[in-house]
Formats: sequence, C-alpha cells, structure tokens
Amino acid sequence: MSAASRERIMARVARATASRAGVPHPGALATPAADDAVDAFVKRFTSSGGEVAKADPGRPPGEWLTGFLRKLEPQVTGVAVAPDVPPELRPGLPEVAAAQAGAGVSLAWGAAADTGSLILPSTGTRAVQLLPPAHVVWVPDGRVFARLEDALRELEAELPAAVGLHSGPSKSADIGRTVVTGVHGPGRCIAVLS
Amino acid sequence: MPADMHTRIRDYASRSGEIIREDPGVREAVTGATIAFDQKRLQGYSEVDADGWRRWAEGVKSHTLTHLDRYLAGAETQLEANGAEVHWAADAAEAREIVMSLAARHSVKSVVKGKSMVTEEIDLNPALEAAGIEVYETDLGEYILQLLDEPPSHILGPAIHKSLQQVQELFTDRLGSEPGGDPDTLARAARRVLRDAFIQSDMGITGGNFLVAETGTVALIENEGNIRLTTSLPRVHVAVVGIEKLLPRMADLSGFLQLTARAATGQPIGCFVSLIQGPAAHPDDDGPEAVHVVLVDNGRTDVLAHEHAWEALRCLRCGACLNACPVYRQTGGHAYGYVYSGPIGSVLDPGLLGLHEAMPLPFASSLCGACEDACPVRIPIPEMLLEWRREAQEEGLTPWKERAALKGLASVATRPGLYRLAGKIGSRLGATGVARALPMLGEWAADRALPQPSRRTFRELWREGIE
Repeated sequence: MSAASRERIMARVARATASRAGVPHPGALATPAADDAVDAFVKRFTSSGGEVAKADPGRPPGEWLTGFLRKLEPQVTGVAVAPDVPPELRPGLPEVAAAQAGAGVSLAWGAAADTGSLILPSTGTRAVQLLPPAHVVWVPDGRVFARLEDALRELEAELPAAVGLHSGPSKSADIGRTVVTGVHGPGRCIAVLS
Repeated sequence: MPADMHTRIRDYASRSGEIIREDPGVREAVTGATIAFDQKRLQGYSEVDADGWRRWAEGVKSHTLTHLDRYLAGAETQLEANGAEVHWAADAAEAREIVMSLAARHSVKSVVKGKSMVTEEIDLNPALEAAGIEVYETDLGEYILQLLDEPPSHILGPAIHKSLQQVQELFTDRLGSEPGGDPDTLARAARRVLRDAFIQSDMGITGGNFLVAETGTVALIENEGNIRLTTSLPRVHVAVVGIEKLLPRMADLSGFLQLTARAATGQPIGCFVSLIQGPAAHPDDDGPEAVHVVLVDNGRTDVLAHEHAWEALRCLRCGACLNACPVYRQTGGHAYGYVYSGPIGSVLDPGLLGLHEAMPLPFASSLCGACEDACPVRIPIPEMLLEWRREAQEEGLTPWKERAALKGLASVATRPGLYRLAGKIGSRLGATGVARALPMLGEWAADRALPQPSRRTFRELWREGIE
C-alpha cells in the first residue's frame, strides 16, 4: 500500500542519509546577465529557430496582427486566440477552435533572454499554445528578463497550474538524424515585440 | 524486474559480439549519432563556464541527496497543497499497481505517453496493454520503437540505432506511407496518428526530469512538444518520478534546465519545458482535472545507502556519458540488457538491481574516463566502476578462471624476471598461442579480439630505442 510504502521509503532514506555528512547547498549559480535583455532574447530565440516580429507602432496592434497573419504561409484564415489576450491585441479574423486554427495567438507572462524562452501560463489555454501549426505570442513591454532564473523567482509568487517555456519551434531528429520541425507542437513560433 | 532481465544482462559479452557481427548497421548508426551529440555537447559547454556550472550542479544534487527525506516531505506537502495527489511506490510492481488503479478510477481507455526511462524501468506498457488500455508512445523515436516492439537504446535518442531506410520500410508497412519518404513526410505520417491519440486519450503519462520541493513543480524537458500535449490535453496526468529527482528550490531549476540541455544536445534549453504544479484550477485553464505524482523507490534507497554508489543518483539522464563512451558506441544500449545502459548504467544498475544481478556490467568499460569528463554532475564513473569490480572480486562474482588469471598476472607483474620471461613467451606464441598455452585465459579471450603481439617485447624495443 502506498501509505505503508511512504513510511518505508522515508525510513530507508533517513537511515541511508544519517551516516553521511550533509553537503551544503552551494547557493545561487552565477550566470551572466546581458545589458540589453531584448536584444539578447532576439538573438537567442532566433538562433533556436524562433521568429521575431515587430509590431508597427503607427497602427493599432490588432489591425497590424490581422495583416501579419494574412501574410503568413500558408495564409491564416481562422485563428484561436487565448482568453487573456486583451481586445486591442486580438486580430480581426474569424476565431475557431484551436485544433482547426491556422495560428494560435497568446500573451506571454514574460520572456527570458539567456535561454530565449517565452513564458506561457496555462490560463492562456494550452490548446492555443500547442495545437495550431503556428504560434504567435505577444511579449508585453518591459517583460523580457535577462535571466530565466530572475523570471522564475518572480513567477514563483503567482504560479499557475502549469507553465510552458517555449524556446523555438517543435523539432525532432529521431528519423535518420535529420531535423524536422512541427512534429507535434507548432512548427513556427513567433514572438511579437511592440 | 522481468524474469529474463538477469539473463539479458549476464549475456552482455555475447550479445555485444552478436550485434557487432550480425547487425553492423547498429554500430554505424550509433557511432555517428553519438559523435554528433558529443560534439554538440562540447560546443554547448564551451559557450558557458561549464566547469563552474558542473561543480554547482554536483553541489546542489549532493546537498539534495544528503537531505532527501526533508525535500521529499516538502515536495509532498506542496504538491498536495496544489491539488495534486502523491503516491509512493516501493518497487516496480507497486508502481504499476498504482498507475493501473488510477486508470481504473478515472475510467481510462486510452493513454498517451511522453518518453520516460522510469516507466520503461517499471515495465508499465505491458501492464496497461494487458488491461485492454491503448498505449501510444508519442516521442517520435519511442513511437518507432513501439511499432517495432523494441526497447529504447539511448536515453535521448531512443531509436538512434535505426537507419532512415528502416523507418521508411516500417512506416510503409504499418502506416501505409509512400515508400522512400523523406524524414519530413514520415514525421507527418506519425503526427497524424498521434494527434488523434492526444485528442482522444483520457490519461497522459510522463516521467519527470526534476521535482522542485519548494513549489511542488514537476519539470519536463523535450523538443517535440509531445510532452506538453501529454500533460495538457488528457483529463488526467500521471507523472512517474524517481525519488532522486528532487531539487530544493525554483531558483535551482533554471540552472539545471540549461545544464541538462547543454549536456544532452548542446542546446541552451529544450524547445519545450513543462512546469507542472497541479490540476487546472483557473476557469480559463484547459489542462487536466487530476494530476498524480507517483514517487518511485525501486532500488534507489539501496543506492543511496551504498558508500560509493550513492553519487550515481545525481544522474540527470542526459545521455552525455553514453555519447562520450567508446564502448557504448560499438553496440548501442541493447547489449547492456537493462533500461539504463552505457557508463551510467554500468554503475547504477548494480546498485538498483544488486551487484550479482548486474554482472558483468562493471567490467563493460575501458576506464578511459571520457564519461566523467562529459557528466554535467561530475559523477566519478571510472572510480565507481573500479569499486564495483573490487566488490565483485570480493564476493566471488567474477569467473574463477579470470580471478585466478588476474592473481597470476599480479604475481608475475610484481616479479620483473618472471614478467620478462612471460612477455617473451607470449610474443613468440601469438594471441591464439597464448590462449592455448594458458587455458585459464581461454574463457577470457573467447569474447575478446586479442591484438597480435609484437614479435619483440616492449622491453626489447625499449632497450634498442624505439625505431
């Protein structure tokens, strides 16, 4: 039984570690932080196959996104938009279920420059982040952290049920050691900076 | 442990020979893939202060393992506070029973799985299938092997021993793909089948790369997105996690995510990382309604109690030591006969299964040290192999003829006159001659290709000055 096993395992762990000197925790890992986090994020994210788009400051962002999605290959007609994307950031295209959508549109909680990662909370609905062939992600101003560690420290206070770190398109080299993209998740991962 | 496991491990030498002789494509594919992985690791290490990172990671893992009871209790409390259920499995049979009872409780008919070594270790798939549950391995490499009914041969690239042509033939045969499709076409064929499985399955089963005690976070690293789908779409998620996977704090996780990816493939981080705290709670969250974490011992507390072997529990399952190992490269993982193969398998398996059950794995190494240099948590593998060998010797587990031969060698090697004489005799007789003249070497030599001895001894050449 699980409860009996818990006691047994805990007792065995305690016994095994009792005779061994405790090793102290070495503290935080010192990793470099880029001066320009946005620039470092763009470099890292694109070198892993991610794409970066810059919204046109002269146009309303939703309208800009509509034009951007229409220009994607293959052209996107139906989109799945996460519920937490505010009205001004939503494209003017028909919204469909994630499994049918040509693109998913999400709002990142933030991004990390040292790993080139978009940080996506599960409240943004996971189907939108995972099922469409292209994933377009708004990165809010001032939310690019120099280091993943800094982002996780801040996120820790408000952790949702799940968080996805997306650092490029879905890929695999399991067949003949040739890299293919879009294996299960989105084959295109596009970060939008405003 | 399946009944035939001991036999499979015991036959290491003959199976290796068989693979090398009868299936030379394996050696070619594995050597090519591991050298490529190893070069990417070296590149990945060169971009950061790898020595500093590795020392730090060794410290965090050793700290966690020497305070494991505290962190296990902390993780349990936090996971339960997050709404997840925690289960404890003393051995493989109990782990299977727990997952089976969860499948029954949640009326599960179909399961999608993320690649996980621990579910291979506990032999989960046959149990699920025997209960009439459909099981889909969703990692592309694992899916290929599931169609072939083969175990994985590498931690990271489970199907690296398969050529493109073998996959083409398999997919034509089983999925009706056009013959000779390129990897892109083949991946799309697998994706079609698996996309339906993701959407229809009731339960997702994964392992766990890390379990953060402070937040109750199961962290999973991957590149395909199949694990994110496995932990997101089905209404139940079960994470099967070894008790050694603990990390103290969320702040530790960032370093480990990066180091694991760099050691495994040279990437700065996996394309996808899932951080799972518990079941969906927010109305907008479309994730699973139930999350279960099964904590598995299955020999790990024996390893933890062992004076030397405990350090092997730092292992991140990155595969870097397999990629660096000149012995692993010759055969891939299947020769080793257990789920954990290569250098780490040769030190971990004797601890998990008992040394007797894991013979002769501690001897399946040339002690070249490449594994230790590659290891992101600095596990002293060569030293540990020697320790297991010493224990095997003490317990009389090595073949008596080999023991006698080694004793003989020791007594000859410590007497210069005898050593010179033996060397001269050996160089005149040649390898087969030596084996014939020294019958106790016959058994040892049967599984090994002996180099042809030089006609002159090294000492003779040394005296002449080496031409």
